Amino acid sequence: MQPFDYYRPKTFAEAFELLTRPDRTAVAIAGGTDVIPQTRDGIRRPDLVVDIKGLPGIRDLVVTSMAPCCGTGPDECLYVGAAVRMNEIARSNIVQDHWPILADAAASVGSEQIRNRATIGGNICTASPAADSAPALYVLDASVLIKGPRGEDRCLPITQFFTGPKRNALKRGEIVAGLLIPRPPAGTLSYHEKLSRRKAGDLSIVSVAVMAFVSAGNTAWRVALGAVGPTPVRAPESEAILAKRHDAEAIDRAAASAYGCCNPIGDIRSGLEYRQAMVVNLTRKAIRAVVAQLPQA
Amino acid sequence: MLHEITLTVNGDQYAIAVRSHQTLLQVLREELGITSPKRGCENGECGACTVLMDGLPVNSCMVLAPEADGTVIETAEGLSVDGNLHPLQQAFIDHNAVQCGFCTPGMLMSSKALLDRSPHPSEDEIRYALVGNLCRCTGYVRIVAAVAAVAERE
Repeated sequence: MQPFDYYRPKTFAEAFELLTRPDRTAVAIAGGTDVIPQTRDGIRRPDLVVDIKGLPGIRDLVVTSMAPCCGTGPDECLYVGAAVRMNEIARSNIVQDHWPILADAAASVGSEQIRNRATIGGNICTASPAADSAPALYVLDASVLIKGPRGEDRCLPITQFFTGPKRNALKRGEIVAGLLIPRPPAGTLSYHEKLSRRKAGDLSIVSVAVMAFVSAGNTAWRVALGAVGPTPVRAPESEAILAKRHDAEAIDRAAASAYGCCNPIGDIRSGLEYRQAMVVNLTRKAIRAVVAQLPQA
Repeated sequence: MLHEITLTVNGDQYAIAVRSHQTLLQVLREELGITSPKRGCENGECGACTVLMDGLPVNSCMVLAPEADGTVIETAEGLSVDGNLHPLQQAFIDHNAVQCGFCTPGMLMSSKALLDRSPHPSEDEIRYALVGNLCRCTGYVRIVAAVAAVAERE
């Protein structure tokens, strides 16, 4: 690996100063499971590596209603610090009980060794269209808490954080401090599935998250997909179809219309035609799985 | 850039100077002479470099040496006690779960972490825990059987 300097700042001010040094190529690192191999392969050439794991609050996993970005109401949010590891999320009782789709998504990442290092902040900052946590974060309406060198926090809906393949909305020197994830209403049903060449330990070909909850007598739906375009996507047309009906015919139409939100490519993991077919099939399977859990009317 | 770090490896404490861009794997193998963790893919795919860091299996090729400051590391060298093999080591021998041996130290460490966390795993749980450890010789069947045998005994 090419030489670089490593710092582990204890304050955000120190981290901002390191990340914005004019004559340096700095990169923030959390779990390092993307940055270290990329640096070894020469895809990145940092001369300054800033380890964010020592920053205040960055490893917190707590339920709160007091945090910024929690937003829409008095309901509680899960605060997941950017450097919380995937296995900490997957094995957390509170996440399993109240945000189960997030626990499932975290458990679908890589291998045991990867999940013991990889973090949720790193997963979104790498901004792979196939980021395993993304479809779950999209249906959960997560917000990203960003801290910047000018001292202003900002909140960004997760759907605006991903801006393109391996592109995120961070400006120079900014750091993702954590994610705020509203608690889904009681009785929320969800399903997450990741399709890959192997059952585990591989990147996804297509992944899908579906969530449904009863609100004012109607069932509201959220559908999101990963690895199907330049960024993860929500499928609002599918959601609108399902909000009206979720019989077999409506499920087929919702699954087919999910394809309209996608712009997949063929790559080493899947040819284009297979991926196109799997968008529809996996979406239909996920919707059916949620419908099967719905209380009978 | 140099960092003075301390770490505990298999119960022994070390205070050493490491460079920023060295990995934990390099420090173990090249500075400390602990060579059971193997350099395989260097990409987090093969798991040959697996060690336990504060009790959890990690790919030591993807941990920067300064990140390991203050941690407790376990490798296959630390498994046997007073010349007696660890039950997993004995089971790997008894079940012929070793062929070329390159993956074995990593397999042992991932298996130990699993049994430490979950003493009676199902076959699916064993396979899920070993997803990050590739073996190109055995076909995995004997490895899974060896781990299962220890899990049943305990």
